[in-house]
Amino acid sequence: MPRWGMVIDLDKCTACQACTVACQAENNVPFAGPDETALDRSKHWHDVMTELGEEGRYPDFHVRFIPRPCMHCEEPPCVKVCPVGATYVDDDGIVRMNYQRCIGCRYCTTACPYTIRYFNWYAPEYPAGYDVYLNPNVPVRPVGVVEKCSFCIHRLEQAKREATAQGRELTDADLVLLPACNQACPASARYFGDLDDQESTVSRLSHSPRAFRLLEDLGTEPKVYYLAEEKA
Amino acid sequence: MKQEGTTQEDATLFEPLLRTGKGFYVTVAVLVILIAWGAYALVRQWVLGLGVTGMNRPVFWGVYITNFVFFIGLSHAGTLVSAILRIVKAEWRRPFTRAAEAVTVFSLPFGAGSIILDLGRPDRVLNVFLYGRFQSAIMWDVTCISLYLLSSVFYFYLALIPDIAMCRDRLNVGPLRARLYKFLALGWTGSERQYRRLDRLMDIMAVWLTMLVVIVHTVVAWIFGMTIVPGWHGAFIGPYFLVGAIFSGVGAVIITTVILRRVYHLEDYIKPVHINAMALFHLSLSLLWLYFTFVEYFTIFYGNEPAHMVVFNAKFWQEFSPMFWIMVACCFVIPVAILSNPRTRTIAGAVVASIFVNIGMWLERYIVIIPSMARPRMADIGSYMPTWTEWAVTLACFAFFALLYTLFTKLFPVIAVWEMHEARHQSVPEAVGRVRSYMPGATASSLPEE
Amino acid sequence: MVKLARRTFLKLAGAAAAAGGLYKLGLVGLESLASPEEQAPGPSSDRQIHGICRLCASGCGLSARVVDSRVVKLDGNPFHPNNQGKLCPKGQAGLQVLYDPDRIKGPMRRVEGGWRQVSWSEALNEIADRLQALRDSGHPEQMVFLHDGKRGPTSDLIARFCRAFGTPNDVRRLRHSADGTPLTHLLTQGWNDHAAYDWETTNYLLCFGGAFLEAWQPLVRQLRAYSRMRRGRPGRRAKIVQIETRASVTATKADEWLSINPGTEGALALGIAHVIVRDEVYDAEFVTEHTYGFEDWTDETGNGHIGFRTLVLRDYSPGRVAGITGVPTETIERIAREFAATRPAVAAGDVSGYSNSLYSQWAIHALNALVGSTDVPGGVMRQTEPPLAPWSEPAPDEIAAQGLIWPRADGADAGRFPLARNVPHALTQAPYPIEVLFLYHTNPVYDDPPGLGWRTTLEGVPLVVSFSPYLDETSEYADLLLPDCTYLEKWFLEPLEPSLGCPAVGLGQPIVDPLYDTRNTADVLIGLAQAMGGSLATAMPWASFVEAIQEQVQGLYQASIGMPSAETTETFEEFWAELRSRAVWYDQPHEFGQWGSAFVTPSGKFEFASQILKERLETLGTSFEDNDLLPRYQAPTFEGEESTYPFHLRTFKMITYTERWGANIPWLQEIYGLHVQEKWDNWVELNPETAHELGIHDGDLVQVESAQGSIELKARLWPGTPPEVVSIPLGQGHTTGGRWAENRGANPNELMAPLTDPLSGELATQSTRVRVRKV
Repeated sequence: MPRWGMVIDLDKCTACQACTVACQAENNVPFAGPDETALDRSKHWHDVMTELGEEGRYPDFHVRFIPRPCMHCEEPPCVKVCPVGATYVDDDGIVRMNYQRCIGCRYCTTACPYTIRYFNWYAPEYPAGYDVYLNPNVPVRPVGVVEKCSFCIHRLEQAKREATAQGRELTDADLVLLPACNQACPASARYFGDLDDQESTVSRLSHSPRAFRLLEDLGTEPKVYYLAEEKA
Repeated sequence: MKQEGTTQEDATLFEPLLRTGKGFYVTVAVLVILIAWGAYALVRQWVLGLGVTGMNRPVFWGVYITNFVFFIGLSHAGTLVSAILRIVKAEWRRPFTRAAEAVTVFSLPFGAGSIILDLGRPDRVLNVFLYGRFQSAIMWDVTCISLYLLSSVFYFYLALIPDIAMCRDRLNVGPLRARLYKFLALGWTGSERQYRRLDRLMDIMAVWLTMLVVIVHTVVAWIFGMTIVPGWHGAFIGPYFLVGAIFSGVGAVIITTVILRRVYHLEDYIKPVHINAMALFHLSLSLLWLYFTFVEYFTIFYGNEPAHMVVFNAKFWQEFSPMFWIMVACCFVIPVAILSNPRTRTIAGAVVASIFVNIGMWLERYIVIIPSMARPRMADIGSYMPTWTEWAVTLACFAFFALLYTLFTKLFPVIAVWEMHEARHQSVPEAVGRVRSYMPGATASSLPEE
Repeated sequence: MVKLARRTFLKLAGAAAAAGGLYKLGLVGLESLASPEEQAPGPSSDRQIHGICRLCASGCGLSARVVDSRVVKLDGNPFHPNNQGKLCPKGQAGLQVLYDPDRIKGPMRRVEGGWRQVSWSEALNEIADRLQALRDSGHPEQMVFLHDGKRGPTSDLIARFCRAFGTPNDVRRLRHSADGTPLTHLLTQGWNDHAAYDWETTNYLLCFGGAFLEAWQPLVRQLRAYSRMRRGRPGRRAKIVQIETRASVTATKADEWLSINPGTEGALALGIAHVIVRDEVYDAEFVTEHTYGFEDWTDETGNGHIGFRTLVLRDYSPGRVAGITGVPTETIERIAREFAATRPAVAAGDVSGYSNSLYSQWAIHALNALVGSTDVPGGVMRQTEPPLAPWSEPAPDEIAAQGLIWPRADGADAGRFPLARNVPHALTQAPYPIEVLFLYHTNPVYDDPPGLGWRTTLEGVPLVVSFSPYLDETSEYADLLLPDCTYLEKWFLEPLEPSLGCPAVGLGQPIVDPLYDTRNTADVLIGLAQAMGGSLATAMPWASFVEAIQEQVQGLYQASIGMPSAETTETFEEFWAELRSRAVWYDQPHEFGQWGSAFVTPSGKFEFASQILKERLETLGTSFEDNDLLPRYQAPTFEGEESTYPFHLRTFKMITYTERWGANIPWLQEIYGLHVQEKWDNWVELNPETAHELGIHDGDLVQVESAQGSIELKARLWPGTPPEVVSIPLGQGHTTGGRWAENRGANPNELMAPLTDPLSGELATQSTRVRVRKV
């Protein structure tokens, strides 16, 4: 079975945030609006974190911008705590959501150490006709349930279907830019694929000496790898 | 025995069942208004979504979960007083037992209920039973709390049976109430055999409930303790919550019984000596609480792990520090000041101390839950301001609890009449005999004098 | 029986009501949701249509996914050589532009207290009448067309309209810095345009000022190039040195950030030149063969003039430059050596906003010539123009000829600013009345310093017509609104801005039919011209703009080069169809070393000493000295006494700033300021130590005041801010424009002093001093 993972090269990343907006558009993630954002309720399945070094003083300071999708951990703390199995790991290693089963207890959102899970505090609003651009391939989530990055599972399923219809396997080329965030990245800094396929780009890059993962010592075994910046 | 002697003896205890003053109606009216307001807030929340509360990302849990832990903590009162004190044969427990068990029985539903009204999809609560997965601490909670609720209700009912029978036999009440008493009395006649069976059953239940108390609040603590959230994860959280629960529960029992004493003129039954005993117990719990709290925070401080210190600093010096230090004052400084001095350890003093303890313990739940969420590892510092919805619902829970309690006092005597009877006629000689048996030179033949 | 039936009925009714009520309350889960695996019934059509994005001046190719005539996703057009399948976050957010609920949905007339809808015919008839009256009165020059002058047939059409009408006032308010930087190339190389840069091949980028990963068009090309500079060439990694007063996100991504005193970039460039010349590590061959004015020279009258070498050696020692710029001497020496030793290296910049910007830009550009980086791989190039066929010259009639004689209302030809072709802000002091003003893609009331008096000027114009598709601050003063379509609903051509060097033309086509009663402004102008008849109609003989575009595209077809080309298509119709399916024409690669077109100066070489400038100044009778013809440094002028106003105010653009659609885009508002994680707001950045001294904490509300006015906004601490500088991002503080744009944040342009660059006439927007205090 494939073990889907992602690699993000911070040396190439320009912190442009095209990935964040592409994800919003692709996955029908409703925007929170200014009032709800002020209440800390904006939803970004993917966002970019700003890591400002604490010791820096003008002009010697350090800042890092880190794109953050769901880590699709192999030992996901969220799955462990869900009382009804509304979130689960599928055979391919993607941490999935079952929106119909979720009871909205928010145990998973609390347990996730990466804080990448989001809750629908209200029914999603698509003001004044914005629902016209909803992606028909992705469900709209109702009030009271949790949602998060799915590694664009709908695109993956479609790619699998197409490959099967053509009587072939999925290739690295099919996969590298499959999720919307990867596809959008102008710097081509992101890769997706099967970590267990030794020929794949993600597998190769995940073994780079520059590779690291976030919060590795927590034992969550995240499947999003980052490649550190190289300074000249 | 259904006759005169006991009627005259404990007529006071049956007064509330027969006569209702204006105070009762005023109380009920006020409580109903509070409940109605909370119900409106709740329905609005169900219609619109949890967005009407102050919860957000990363502070996903707030007042409702605080209430959950708090009410479960309150519920430990009953079990402690009637079950644990029963096991250790503390005779001064008798005026408290039923009142305490009532606190348990009426607060538990609001504990469990608080979780349900915190759900994003309460309409899907059955999923918990259809798809429950036992690797989740929530399922352990569901199981244990359900068990605890059933067991407590059963225990409560058991202890009520002889008194229900008394009501059935001697009270002149309307046909509906008479039918209720008859039904619930289960044909109790008060024979020796029945009393022995009841005793036996209650002994077993006391042990079972004591076990459950430990398990339930540990499991409640494990909702937090079993995650890797800094400030939650640790071996200590189970015992810490347990001690806290008993601590706040005892305070609740004190408040409740003193109110009942005042309202129903039970000065003869609930005497300063009783309150003093509970107050001393409460004092020792305050000291125990301080020990647990100190151990917890000192360990964190000394270990200096970054993720934990972020939470520590939030509590000790930053935006949560007013609440934190008020909590310490309410849970330790004030209670110990009042209760360690015999001159202030009066009935009034005990009530004041208990009120502070309960405020402090509610704050302690809040302090455990919210600051850890407000300091996520990988997101901006969070903040949380509960809205009127959450306060209205909280108030309604307390009001509903009080309403159920008030109604209960109109249906059943608040002090177990049969236990008082048992004390007068059996416990005194039994206690004398027990003490004698501790003395040197005591043999089987030197049994209590009749 | 009856009783029971009634009771049952009541019970059922009650149950039904309860169930209905519960359902309405959402308590009964009757949603039909597809879980991610399940597919909803497929849409009847799901296509990709290509077009062009117009949210900034980059003109990236886009690919729209259209499901049943709804656009549901925007991505880059893989065929477009500029962005090759990628879009920046603005482009991705274009869905919220097309479906912006606050767009102007049809022609509007200003009435008391608001706007009233009118029909196109009513509006256009009125305008035609007024224009006709103006012509009849013999003063067609009193019509002014203020637009953004974006390269392409729409601007050509506007120029044509103005010329046929008889007004010289085709006034172009180009995007920020778009007048100053091109002048650098005019003076040194003879062509007045931005330059193309070969980022992908360079090994050393010395970038002055421009945040090239955030606000430099064409942006996506830069983002791609950055990636390639870092990891696209195994074994080779370009060094990026960013020289900016304030640390932008770009600066944090660079290998080195040099914080420089405001407006002193020119001095630094000259200091670097000094080291290179002093140590003789410049490209001697190139300098000898292809440059003019390096060495001292004697003119026809026998007078001696200093050249570039003498200038830099004499006046710009590293020590002196360190004092001016705040960059340490050792750093200047080191950077200069690195720059000269690494080949290829390129110096680029966007240091607009100061009174000395043009000269600074010139000094920076001169570095390229010094190391022979002009029109070579890895260096700076002149972009080849695409062979679009020009429309035939219209012949102005008598009335028009009379009007065209008049000087421009913006005084550009009067020589007050010797090199300016457009001085839009001078319209506020026009020498004759403006009777009709057209506004297209321009918002000076918001963008320009209030001291210029745009509001008063607009109020004084009897007929103001705005083509803006959304209500902006300037359009608030319009009498008529004739909303343009968005870039997803209309035809246009988008010739590539200088970037790659090779020519390219994007084809903007309607991805969907216009959602509302809006019309392509170009079509409106054609219609207007034809309604007015006469020579105007003759000048615009087309049935619609797409016909006009096709005429220009004929040139691409005839040229038989590039992709698509006449070589692969049989007929023009086939070519056009191919062009439509790709939405871009281009001819790669750029040919380097074309000295004939790279240098079209009097000397035919790169001119350190600009003869073109000399000619111009002589024509205008302006006095000058030797130094003025060379890229020299003069300290910038700032408004405000340092004692009263201790801080320099810098305004900056982030990647979420749309040059051309205001702030009514929620997706961009929600990611607005990445480096300080601010959303739905703007702020003023302070140096943390400075803030501490002033008693200001992160997030406090502060007042920022200049001699022009004051604004209130929140303070954020950013360690990339020099102690004597405060920075405010542009793009918020709108008073109109939609529910998410309005009344949010503050507009720093309100603090701007109306200073200008004396040669280009460009507004010196970074020249204002301010003070800050906690509110």
